[in-house]
Amino acid sequence: MESGVKVWEVFVQKKSGLPFKHVGSCHGYDKKMAIQNARDLYTRRGEGRELWVVESNAIVSVPLDEADAFFDPGEDKIYRHATFYKIPEGVNHL
Amino acid sequence: MDKFEAAFNAIIEADQKVEPRDWMPEKYRKTLIRQISQHAHSEIIGMQPEGNWLLRAPSLRAKQVLLAKIQDEAGHGLYLYSVAETLGISRAEMNEQLHNQEAKYSSIFNYPTLTWADMGAVGWLVDGAAIVNQVSLQRTSYGPYARGMVRICKEESFHQRQGYEIMVQMAFGTAEQKEMAQDALNRFWEPALMMFGPHDADSVHKNQSMDWKIKRESNDHLRQRFIDRTVPQAEYLGLTIPDANLKLDPSTGSYTHSPFNWDEFWNVVNGNGPCNQERLDHHKKAHYDNAWVREAAAAYAEKIETSVA
Amino acid sequence: MNLELKSNESKFLIRLADTATILGQRLAEMCSKAPFLEEDIALSNISLDLFGRAEELYKIICTIENAAYTPDDLVFRRNERQYFNLKLVEQPNEDFAWVIARQYLHDVYSTAVYTQLSESSNSELAGLANKVLKEVKYSHLHTKDWMDRLGLGTEESNNRLQLAVDHLMKYVEEIFSWDEIDREQLADCDKITSAWESEINQTLAACNIERKSIQPLSMRDYRDGFHSEHIGHLLSIMQYLPRAYPDAKW
Repeated sequence: MESGVKVWEVFVQKKSGLPFKHVGSCHGYDKKMAIQNARDLYTRRGEGRELWVVESNAIVSVPLDEADAFFDPGEDKIYRHATFYKIPEGVNHL
Repeated sequence: MDKFEAAFNAIIEADQKVEPRDWMPEKYRKTLIRQISQHAHSEIIGMQPEGNWLLRAPSLRAKQVLLAKIQDEAGHGLYLYSVAETLGISRAEMNEQLHNQEAKYSSIFNYPTLTWADMGAVGWLVDGAAIVNQVSLQRTSYGPYARGMVRICKEESFHQRQGYEIMVQMAFGTAEQKEMAQDALNRFWEPALMMFGPHDADSVHKNQSMDWKIKRESNDHLRQRFIDRTVPQAEYLGLTIPDANLKLDPSTGSYTHSPFNWDEFWNVVNGNGPCNQERLDHHKKAHYDNAWVREAAAAYAEKIETSVA
Repeated sequence: MNLELKSNESKFLIRLADTATILGQRLAEMCSKAPFLEEDIALSNISLDLFGRAEELYKIICTIENAAYTPDDLVFRRNERQYFNLKLVEQPNEDFAWVIARQYLHDVYSTAVYTQLSESSNSELAGLANKVLKEVKYSHLHTKDWMDRLGLGTEESNNRLQLAVDHLMKYVEEIFSWDEIDREQLADCDKITSAWESEINQTLAACNIERKSIQPLSMRDYRDGFHSEHIGHLLSIMQYLPRAYPDAKW
């Protein structure tokens, strides 16, 4: 089986002011090829002004069995949300 | 039942998306890999029957439009291979499955494109059928597949218009052109209907796929939708659909039709269509004849990306 | 088709247009045959750019010549001796090294020519040239990267690239045999020659490809409609439908 080709995750920034968005992945043997391939695959219809490619195995993600430890405690700290707080009537700009 | 399986069932029940990191039943994963990789292979093999007329496109506009369409198909194949990779299979493995015939692709592409009118029929009928199927798949339960389908659907509508434009030009052109257009319709009508797969009653995989919301609507349901919207399009062209029993049922608003030739369908699916061998041979040749290019690219990448800069 | 171009500007532009058409057609032949899918898309992109470029150039020519014919007439109804493309771009897709080398040699030349045309007093042409420069820049980037990969990758890829370059270089001499029309339409022909020589020599050396000395071949010039044997086959395929059905509208 052949080897050497890498998988890259592709991020596109559509317009300035907008965040980069993950659009999928592409293949490439080296960086130059990866970014050209990403451009040909994901921006043929003028969908972007800027492009990032990152080798897929450089991405760090949260494993499934740690997901609840990472994300659930966030849900019960409701004092992080503005709606938790009562503002007196008639007081503005808060 | 463990919490991950419960979470999976809850996602499906709530019509939410399963993402690559989530737990999923092994059979769900395998079913998706099979369906998505076969969908990808179909896009890629589909480049061949259309590529057959690319060099002979009869105007600059026709050539550019057809090339852009074929290019889109390569792109759709790539989106789908990427989606399949999120499920744990590599492109190299999928390629091998295609070559050793473990994986299939849509049988419509095993039919030859004999005249320029076939470019019209393929765009109008084959892409038309694909659109009906793909619009439905935008609501599939696997997140990356659904997102891929949304992207593909946006791009696909020009494909059908490109085909219909050719049909219009020929149906209203010279007598020879009209005859060519009718001939193409005669050959592609039934194979296009077969793209929706066997009748619901004969469909082996259907129930599990529907329960897991991989598939959202049944084969017959989608097929009928395609027939109902396509018949008036053929009438506009002044062409005759090759089915003497095609009749509008006023009570349902749908067209009834003759029974299909399932013998031909299964024969082609099982490898005995007009071009099955040619399509595979072409794909293998392009791949193996160019192994030296990929080796060079790999060798070069290693040289530059491990060098001390 | 009876082709009679009245202006020198048309006679010059048709060389560029025909070169784009024939090269676009050679790249279109690669559809579904590239070393991997991403490259299939990349080559199709370049092919589309070339056909678009050809169409725009033919439109300018038709305007200059007062619309005696359309771009499609020019593409589909002229014969072998009425085409004015470089012989370089007729050469076949023997293997991927041929595809890349042919494209690279063309792109370096194209960049230099369109750079000068972007200053043209014909504002339509200058506008087109500026658009073309962006497209050629991308193609040039792409093919230069592949010259490196093939030249420096493996022994086999280097051998294949060497063979391709050896053959294609035979068709370079005529490119730089400028005539009075070229000298009238371009600001500085000799600058194009030296820019091309300089970059090609640098690239070939960097990717370990020898530039062998070539005995000038007794070949007639493309500017007079002389070609290699490939042109006949290219045109008979490309022109088949309009010629077989002359009264049909396509």
